[in-house]
Amino acid sequence: MTFYLQLAVAGIAVGSVYALIAIGIVLIYKCSGVVNFAQGAFVMLGAYFTFALTRLGLVPVAAVAVAMLAMALVGMLTERLILRPMMKAPIVAIMAVTLGILILTRAVCLAIWGPDQIAFPKLFPDGAVNIFDVFITYNYLAAALLSVCLSLAFLAFYQFTSIGLKQRCAADNTRAALAIGIHTGNQNSLAWSMSAALAGLGGTLLATLNGLSLGLSDIGLVAFPVIVLGGLTSLSGAVVAGLLLGILQAFTDGVLTPLFETFLRTYTRIYSAGALQQVVPYLILVFVLLVRPQGIFGRRGTERL
Amino acid sequence: MKRSNLIIPFGLAIVAMAVSLMLGRYGAYLAHVVAIAAIGAMSLNLLNGWCGQINFAQAALLGVGAYAAGNFGNAGWDLFSLPAAGIASALAAVLIGLPALRLRGLYFAIATLAAQFIFEYLFKFAEPITHGVSGLLIQPMKLFGRVIDTDQGYSVLAIFLLLLTWLFMTWIRRTDLGRAFLVVRENEVVARGMGINVPQTKMWAFLISGFFAGIAGALMGFTARLAHPEAFGMALSVDYIAMIIVGGLGSLTGSLLGAAFVTLLPEVIQRFGEAFHIADQLSALREMAFGLLIILFLIFEPRGLSAIFRRLDVRRLVARFRPHSTNPVRDQTENQPKWRSVE
Repeated sequence: MTFYLQLAVAGIAVGSVYALIAIGIVLIYKCSGVVNFAQGAFVMLGAYFTFALTRLGLVPVAAVAVAMLAMALVGMLTERLILRPMMKAPIVAIMAVTLGILILTRAVCLAIWGPDQIAFPKLFPDGAVNIFDVFITYNYLAAALLSVCLSLAFLAFYQFTSIGLKQRCAADNTRAALAIGIHTGNQNSLAWSMSAALAGLGGTLLATLNGLSLGLSDIGLVAFPVIVLGGLTSLSGAVVAGLLLGILQAFTDGVLTPLFETFLRTYTRIYSAGALQQVVPYLILVFVLLVRPQGIFGRRGTERL
Repeated sequence: MKRSNLIIPFGLAIVAMAVSLMLGRYGAYLAHVVAIAAIGAMSLNLLNGWCGQINFAQAALLGVGAYAAGNFGNAGWDLFSLPAAGIASALAAVLIGLPALRLRGLYFAIATLAAQFIFEYLFKFAEPITHGVSGLLIQPMKLFGRVIDTDQGYSVLAIFLLLLTWLFMTWIRRTDLGRAFLVVRENEVVARGMGINVPQTKMWAFLISGFFAGIAGALMGFTARLAHPEAFGMALSVDYIAMIIVGGLGSLTGSLLGAAFVTLLPEVIQRFGEAFHIADQLSALREMAFGLLIILFLIFEPRGLSAIFRRLDVRRLVARFRPHSTNPVRDQTENQPKWRSVE
């Protein structure tokens, strides 16, 4: 029992960070209709910024805050310089350009910080709390609490403030928003910068859990099953789906993989199940797309035949 | 089919074969790398540029081709392992395309992304067929009793197959099916109204595209002598999407130019890096140039290299030297809106 609880806790911690990153993708998609493959690049860049700033001697809190601001700037510049000229481009071109951003950012990070894993500075103290024999390290606890709180805070911001209202207007109907005097271009930039800042924070948190390397950018691709599962247009769906997926991955890793390997060794000549936890989200993605393409919380759209 | 549509590819292919035979090993290597990539790019162009189905699983299809060719080739099928690999990939492509019957646009693209990752996992997982993470060793191909193991031999073979691919693509584009692809791309409702069987048309697109992807993958396997799961990852899919976009969506010449561009770019940067003694930053530099070029192309020349090629007006130059030139070929791209795929 303790083992399963332990898995669930780890899953929730990682899943809440997924949620934070997925919120960014959904936000961008809602506002500008762009599927952002470069979210993974933002995640990685945010973590590297935090690392570089702590190297410069900033205290961790300040470093994280400044890194988030820098990421907001990066997000805005990306929107202004790259995505805005491509407003009317076909969907494959937009997908390709965000992939281009991902490749470029990875290469820049590779050139500056090198290919090796870097020991990330300690943001949280060592040690763990013990609840009913379940050990939760402060790292995991902080990551989970911070991302859940921030996700909820962001949802509240989106729902209850006037800027959030403008955001929703611009996302819901661009023309109507323009007609009532909302500068939708600025709202787009704002959406991109907020989403990049959230992704940057997510990257910093992930780096405290797993260390800092270029591999962080792969998280952007893992986030896609999350947003499809939650529905591409649903922010709260992204949060729920993120948590679900984190738990699912933890249980695949801890329970399903050993079972599957025993099965394989008994009945076939295959000895390793490989990285099953990386495939299971995609299998679920295909299933969800076929059964309920709008996702669990999404609105029924026109993408279905 | 117009005569020039036959003569130009044939002429180009013969010249390319002759040149690659004269160039020596490195030149021949570049020739077959470009030719194989061009076959793969044309296959993706049919699916994406003509039929409008975004496919992020092209690398998976190439991989299926390479593994199938490896297994059939090692079993002694020789030349027949190429069509066999094509058929295996075509079946895989239909499997990947099945969600297209229910999903459209972006959602389908994400489904193919999932397919890419699932196939990548299968390449590592299905050890009896693929030899897992260590990769499948492939014996060199025999053609009419002679072993092909030189780069020159493969370049002639690859250029010949590229020629066949090109001719087939030009032909299929002019059939009813080829026109149906374009209508399905533009508007599925209209296509249905015109009496086009949309699901069937899509499945044909996947089948044909998969077949040629399989051939390209098989050639990749034979030239590398190894089918390795890492070689057919997401990055390769991105390369192929970059090829057809940089070349120009929907254009066969574009696919060829794009394939040459994307495969030769790393080689050029390699030389450049060696000249300036910055070898340690080479891989970063390569990726940087690749990413930057994709972005710049999409912003400033979304119709790709083929549009630039057209602006150079090669055909009109040729027409001027032809004795009985009746009508000079007009530049059809000039008045088109910016975001419109030509052809």
